[in-house]
Amino acid sequence: MNRKERMEQQRQQERLEEVRDALRKRELLEPGISMPGMSRRTFMHKSLMFAGGVAGLSTANLWLPIINTFDMAFASENAEGGINNFRFAWISDTHLYPEDVNTRFVEKAKRAVDEINALDPPVDFVVMGGDLAQLGDPVELRLGKEIMDELEVDVYYIPGEHDWYLDMGETFVDLFGESPWTFDHKGVRFIGLDTISRAPDYWSVTNMSPEERMGHMAGLDNSVTGPWAGLGRSQRDWLESTLNDWDRDDPVVIFSHNPLYEYYPPWNFWVRDWRETLEILRPFNNVTDFHGHTHQVLYNEIDNIRLIGMLATAWPWPYAPEGVPPMTRPMTRVDPGDHFDGLGWDLMTFQDNRVEHEYMMWRRRDHIFANRPEDNAVTKNPSIKLQPRVADRMWTGRYRGTD
Amino acid sequence: MNKAKTERYRVRHLMGLGALAGAFTLAATLVFSGVVRDVIGPAYAHKEHHQEDELQIFEEIFMEYVILGDRLFHGDAELEEEMGVNLSDTGMACAMCHPFAKDTNPHEFPKFQEQMGEFSTLAGMTNWCIDNPNQGEEIDVDSEAMKALEAYQYWSHDGSVLNPGVH
Repeated sequence: MNRKERMEQQRQQERLEEVRDALRKRELLEPGISMPGMSRRTFMHKSLMFAGGVAGLSTANLWLPIINTFDMAFASENAEGGINNFRFAWISDTHLYPEDVNTRFVEKAKRAVDEINALDPPVDFVVMGGDLAQLGDPVELRLGKEIMDELEVDVYYIPGEHDWYLDMGETFVDLFGESPWTFDHKGVRFIGLDTISRAPDYWSVTNMSPEERMGHMAGLDNSVTGPWAGLGRSQRDWLESTLNDWDRDDPVVIFSHNPLYEYYPPWNFWVRDWRETLEILRPFNNVTDFHGHTHQVLYNEIDNIRLIGMLATAWPWPYAPEGVPPMTRPMTRVDPGDHFDGLGWDLMTFQDNRVEHEYMMWRRRDHIFANRPEDNAVTKNPSIKLQPRVADRMWTGRYRGTD
Repeated sequence: MNKAKTERYRVRHLMGLGALAGAFTLAATLVFSGVVRDVIGPAYAHKEHHQEDELQIFEEIFMEYVILGDRLFHGDAELEEEMGVNLSDTGMACAMCHPFAKDTNPHEFPKFQEQMGEFSTLAGMTNWCIDNPNQGEEIDVDSEAMKALEAYQYWSHDGSVLNPGVH
């Protein structure tokens, strides 16, 4: 690099620092940007008010938050009539490559584990919400197990599609056990679902190799894999029978990799049988679904059921071009220059049968949620139109690092 | 001025006019026969009404680049090798953060790009992403690969309203 190039680089660096200084000062001068008084907790009623303001919902649609269903949904006594105070944590979407391919993803997964271990008082357990690996490679899954084994409490696993479609779940089940599963803990029924293993067969007719099958599945915006997310009849029957003996006012917490509603099917931000699944849950008055896969802040309510999108540790997804639930208070746009930004893990606190959820988002502890339209990737430019892919059926299914 | 001298000027003048006319005739012949268009490029553009097959060729060329761009954008390692580029050293592909090219916002460029600390074109920002999140190797802004990546991002946003400069 010659002197002129060095000077130019230095000038650009100084300019960047100036801009950053200016932004920092502006933030201090305009406290509205950092949302004073709003915690990172998922307060439904405030999110609705925000959504109403942004999306232009009519006042007729805003009666729910005024009643404050956050309180209503969790007002009932638990089965023992006592208090169930405890916390649990969620990690998902670590998307680990072998360590020699990508060290950043490993670094972030380890950071989540270290931060959960450092909690005082500790959590009772941790849920790994799927997509531990990126391409289902046993090397990736074993690396994931090694990292998750550092957690000092029990860990419950549900699979993601990235964990599954290389060897059809063989390594995942061998390392982490089968799904679905259920257990009761301090008056709460916890249920882990498998929303990923029942994809219609898209590989046999063209004789895809396992790597090609996995490669297609790993591309979020491809059309080759079709509507792969779903519970299927047998699992829905299992869910119904699992809840048969449960009091309708006692809390139920569901863990699923995909959201249990129709957010955006082209990216499988749904399960195809979400209506039938929610019908099974409808009689229960205190149900929360925590889901991964979407890598973003999401909040929805359908009947008595709350559905909350959890953070990834690997990378954030943009909001889909349509279908974002109006109740969602969008997260602030992330900085692609900071590979921790917009990511993290989730902490849930049960108290008196009420579960509170917190986004433990790195770099954004004080302003997770967007305030201004310019900071909000959902409303920032309503004139955007997007087309689906053109070459996904010409895709070889082979990613970098898989040769 | 004597008569002989006047005659010489007249002959030279006529020869000059003849040379000019000859040059003009040659140029016209070359232009209308398509030789100039074939040899030095499309200097003849928009001088005739387009034929359907011509329009189809233009569209096919565009879509060829879109398809190449789609494959590069989604991490096609073989194509990268064929085109002599290395867009990622981390396993990351552009589409992992930008499914359907969402949030690339090509219709907003050029603009001041906060991460770069400078005014940037779409190609400049694409190179920044290759260099930073992907940790690959930046590519020539005039390269075939960059043309393809730009084509895919623009095509993905077909119908969006231009909004240059907006943050």
